[in-house]
Amino acid sequence: MNNFDLRRYRAMLKREVLEHPTLFFGAPVLEALLIVLILAWLQTFVPLEEKRLAVEYMAVLFNGLSPTDMAPIFMLLAIPFVASLYISAIVYLTNSLYQDRRDTSVLFWQSMPVSNLQTVLSKIVTIGVVVPLIYMGTLAIMYCIGAIWLTVMGLSYEVEVAGLGYMFMAALTSLALVYLSTVVASLWLLPTVGWLLLFSAFAKRTPLLWAIGAFILLGLIEGFVFNTQYLANWVESRSDPSGYLILSFGSVFDRLFTYDMLFGIAVGSILITGAVYMRRFID
Amino acid sequence: MNKIRNLIMKNRYTLLLTTIFAYILAVVVEGAVTGRDARVIDLENPFFDLDVRDFDEFREARSDDDDEADFDDR
Repeated sequence: MNNFDLRRYRAMLKREVLEHPTLFFGAPVLEALLIVLILAWLQTFVPLEEKRLAVEYMAVLFNGLSPTDMAPIFMLLAIPFVASLYISAIVYLTNSLYQDRRDTSVLFWQSMPVSNLQTVLSKIVTIGVVVPLIYMGTLAIMYCIGAIWLTVMGLSYEVEVAGLGYMFMAALTSLALVYLSTVVASLWLLPTVGWLLLFSAFAKRTPLLWAIGAFILLGLIEGFVFNTQYLANWVESRSDPSGYLILSFGSVFDRLFTYDMLFGIAVGSILITGAVYMRRFID
Repeated sequence: MNKIRNLIMKNRYTLLLTTIFAYILAVVVEGAVTGRDARVIDLENPFFDLDVRDFDEFREARSDDDDEADFDDR
C-alpha cells in the first residue's frame, strides 16, 4: 500500500465520519452533557459535609493504587456510551449502503477510483475503529471535567487530593480497555456487521426490518423443518461478552486468537462478500 | 464455472439467497461438527433459582401443581 492508497483510504474514512455527524458526534456529546448536568444537579442535594467526606474517601481509597489494576472498575462508567455506540452502529450499518443507493450517490462513488470492496471495508473500519475513538474521546473529556470538578471541591474543602490523580489515571486507563474491547467486539460481531451490510445493500426500503425479519424467518424455518436450533445456538454463543471483553492489556491476544473469534470472522467474511457483490445491483 | 457465476449474479435475489445459503451452511456444519450448544443460563440469586437445563422439570412440576390445584378446587 503506497502513500496515495493511504491518503485515499483516510479520505474515505473522513467522508464516512463527516456524513454522519449526528450519530458519531451528536449522540456521545449529548449523552456526556446529560450525564454531567444530571450529576451537577444531583450533587446540589448532598450536604456539604458529606461531599467533603466523599472526596476525601475517594482520594484516600485510590491513593497509591495501580491504575491498571483499578481500571476495570471504571469500565462500568462507560456502559451507557457503549450501549449508545451499539445503537449507532446498528443504525449506521443498516443505512450506509442503502442511503448511497437511495440518493443515487452510489453512482458517483462508483465512478471514483475506489472499488466496492474498499467502500464496504471503509464502513466496517469506520464503525469498528474510528467511531469508538470519538466516543472514547468524549468520555475522556467528561472524565477531565469530573477530575477538575473533584479537585476544585477537594481544595475548597482542604482535603488532600493527591489520590484523585491515581483515580483519574485509572479512569483514563479504563478508556483504553473499553476502546480495545469495542474494537475486538467489532471483530467478534463481524457476522452481525456482515448481515446488516448485506441487507443494507439489498433492501429497496426498510433494511433493518429486512435484516431482522429474514433472520427470524430462517430460525423458524430451521425449527419447523429440521427441528434443530443451530442458528439460535450460534446467536446465543455470539452474544456472550466474555468473547470480547478485555479487562487487562495482556488478554488482547487471548481474545483475538480463539477458535470462535476466527470462525466468526470467516463467517462474517461470507456475508461481507455478499454485500460487496450486492453493490453491483443499483436501483 | 462461468455458468454458476452468471446464475448467482443474475439478480439481487439469487445473490442474496446464495450468500445466505453459504452462511447457513457454514454455521450449521460447524454447529453439527463441534456440537455447539446454547450456553445455558444459570441465574443464581437468593430469591429464586433459574437453570434453563431444568426447564422441562420446571414445566412438569408446574403442570403437576396445576393438576393438584384443580383437584383441590373440586
